[in-house]
Amino acid sequence: MQRPDWAPDTIDIERPSVARMYDYYLGGSHNFAADRTAARAMMDAVPEAPLMAQANRAFLRRAVQFLADAGVRQFLDIGSGIPTVGNVHEIAQRIDPESRVVYVDVDPVAVAHSHEILSGNDRATAIQEDLRRPEAILHHPEVTRLLDFSQPVAVMVVAVLHFIPYADKPEEILRTLRKSLAPGSYLVLSQASDDGRGETGERAEAERVYRRTDNQLWIRSRAELTALFDGFELVDPGVVWVPQWRPESPDQAENAEQSVFMGGVGRLGG
Amino acid sequence: MGDGAARPRSCPGTFARAWAKAVSGTSYLPMTQAQLEALLQRLTERLAVAIQAEPFDLRIGQQVGAELVEAHIASAEGLGRTIEVIQLRLVRDLGLVADDVEDRMARLLATVATGYARALRDRTLDEQEAIRRAAMMARAHAERALRDSEARFRHQATHDPLTDLPNRTLFTERLSAALDEPGRGADRVGVCFLDLDRFKVVNDSLGHQVGDGLLVSVAQRLRRALGEHLVARLGGDEFVILVERTGCTDDAVKVAEAALAAVSEPALVDGHELTISASVGIVERQVAGTSPGELMRAANSTLHWAKAAGGARWVLFDADRNRRELARYALAAAIPTALDRGEFFLDYQPLTSLRDGRVLGMEALVRWRHPQLGVLRPDSFIGLAEETGLIVRLGGWVLAEACREAASWSTGHDDPPFVSVNLAVRQLHRPGLVQEVQGVLRRTGLPARRLQLEITESTMMSTVEEPVRALRVLADLGVRIAIDDFGTGYCNLAYLRELPVAELKVAGEFVTGLRAPATDPGSRTDERILASLVSLAHALDLTVTAEGVETADQADRLRAIGCDAGQGWHFGRPAPADRFLARLD
Repeated sequence: MQRPDWAPDTIDIERPSVARMYDYYLGGSHNFAADRTAARAMMDAVPEAPLMAQANRAFLRRAVQFLADAGVRQFLDIGSGIPTVGNVHEIAQRIDPESRVVYVDVDPVAVAHSHEILSGNDRATAIQEDLRRPEAILHHPEVTRLLDFSQPVAVMVVAVLHFIPYADKPEEILRTLRKSLAPGSYLVLSQASDDGRGETGERAEAERVYRRTDNQLWIRSRAELTALFDGFELVDPGVVWVPQWRPESPDQAENAEQSVFMGGVGRLGG
Repeated sequence: MGDGAARPRSCPGTFARAWAKAVSGTSYLPMTQAQLEALLQRLTERLAVAIQAEPFDLRIGQQVGAELVEAHIASAEGLGRTIEVIQLRLVRDLGLVADDVEDRMARLLATVATGYARALRDRTLDEQEAIRRAAMMARAHAERALRDSEARFRHQATHDPLTDLPNRTLFTERLSAALDEPGRGADRVGVCFLDLDRFKVVNDSLGHQVGDGLLVSVAQRLRRALGEHLVARLGGDEFVILVERTGCTDDAVKVAEAALAAVSEPALVDGHELTISASVGIVERQVAGTSPGELMRAANSTLHWAKAAGGARWVLFDADRNRRELARYALAAAIPTALDRGEFFLDYQPLTSLRDGRVLGMEALVRWRHPQLGVLRPDSFIGLAEETGLIVRLGGWVLAEACREAASWSTGHDDPPFVSVNLAVRQLHRPGLVQEVQGVLRRTGLPARRLQLEITESTMMSTVEEPVRALRVLADLGVRIAIDDFGTGYCNLAYLRELPVAELKVAGEFVTGLRAPATDPGSRTDERILASLVSLAHALDLTVTAEGVETADQADRLRAIGCDAGQGWHFGRPAPADRFLARLD
């Protein structure tokens, strides 16, 4: 197969990977020394980092549950990372075994691990692609094999957009994705946000930590995030701190702004 | 019994809810709060059994610990909080009664912690193994992709993108390998250069797309017909075939014949049925003592012979012919230096009046005193000079030298002969010819009327304006214009109307016929042609000189026809001017 021009020539596990750092925050052991060192540095600066990751993961789980309950049977999870516990396909296929899921990640190790987890599951797969190349994702043979874009598809862009700089025009990426979707499709979005926090030392430190990985951090406000749902109708309660998005119990939403992640779900009408 | 035991199993009690609250947030739990509480209620009931069982069962606590990890309550904090909440609340919340409850609690906690730590360690090791395996797979994948892209790059670098045949690079590699491989010196090898005949016509008339389609089709046919032999495209419509381990020359010839047959099959390209032929140059020889460059050069030269012979054929390399051509090439390359060194000189041949035997003019004939080869006649180098364009310089030298020498002929003679100089096509087409001639006449002092320029009929075939204008200007100056070899070119008499011609030089072929007896029918035909030419020339006020006059009888018959002058061995072989000037006295 052809090596995408953005893919690394070799796999360097001496370099921290955001996917494996995220796994470490979630309590996983799918990580290497360099990932743990970087994640601990992040936790020194932002002690709540593991809680943020957990809250974001819980948001993903509730969102998938919501979508499955709403009848969505196809999922395109972009920036899926290391498939640890509570994957989209686990939730979706528990509700309907026919549900189809394609994971997309730029990290080749994350993709290789996904393949291992998904071996034997012919309704779910993983591809190595970059969110910044939406056309390549949409035309990838595995994507077109598993997903039928004439039917509703849930596109998940969860905890990945903060790695996309403004220069890469996230609004155009999302527009391209939206144009390929049928009415009744959904967009799930979450990313690091500073709404209610403003400039803090923590934020600067977090950005500094992530500069050591291949990915820099781009914090966005609630207004910016809301604007990215252009073309979609936001599902209640709109763009909120992720613990506030349809919590299972009111106490889960306490101190929600500490989660740092904001997110929402939009539905494509028509 | 406490409230936990009184409730239905699925309904979490106070303790299970407190436990759930304690472990929330210790790690990511992929379940809802209700699912978590239900799970912990089940485990609470196991713990209740364990603390009361007689005898004490180690396995229950260990299983509870393992199940917690399995349910992803899998962190150091998760264990700490679990121990804390069990120690503080289990007995109280469940209203449990046991004799030695503190002892049993300590042992229960120990078993839970043991089972938990063991499971967490296994899980950690499993995950480490999984991620390392994933990294290895990703690395193998990346390396394979890199190798594939290198292989693809290598393919692109060694193949022709249009036909996907090997290109010159790969062919040269394979040829070098065939020659350099140890122990192959005694082997023989063949190279066939193949070029399509008049391929340009296809491109020009049907467009490059059809031309490209034809090349692709030819490539496919060659590959199919010559499967075992390496076929490469060198560029354009040039292909080359490597024939390894030939037994004899005939093996290479068979390959060439197969290639020619394959090319000549009709091809359907973009709806056009195209039939094309090809030419092949074959070189086949022993590996020892040859080199890739030499083989390629030899095959290429041989291809040109095949082309020159009309195409649609193969030609075998001929070492002697090649040597001759190389010598010719070397000779052409030496002309500029020879001019600088003054190795050229002129001989003359007289144009003699058939009426009174007077020398009317003398034709300048260039000679080359070659340091190694001796004196060379023009037929061994003029053709080369014309091909290479050196004729312009050489012709210029001849003109200047002839005028210089002719200027001296007037000394002591009242009516000295004119000098006749051949003018090549390229000289005639050069802008500035008029100025060149004028300059020479001025420098040498030769009157214009004593210079005759000979041009061939074929020179006048082209109807380009500029040369005609130049000749008119020269004629106006008084320079005589003669048509050389009249009657042998495509005789378009129209130019005689346009041009300021003074003289026709009738080609020797017609004169040769006059050597036979006058009764011979062929001879009589030539005589009639000559007579007609003479009367035509005279009707146009032109003089006629017959070339190639070798005998007195020919001279007599020409005189009888009315021909004005003769040139040939009968009147004198080419020699230095002095020999003929002596006759003037």
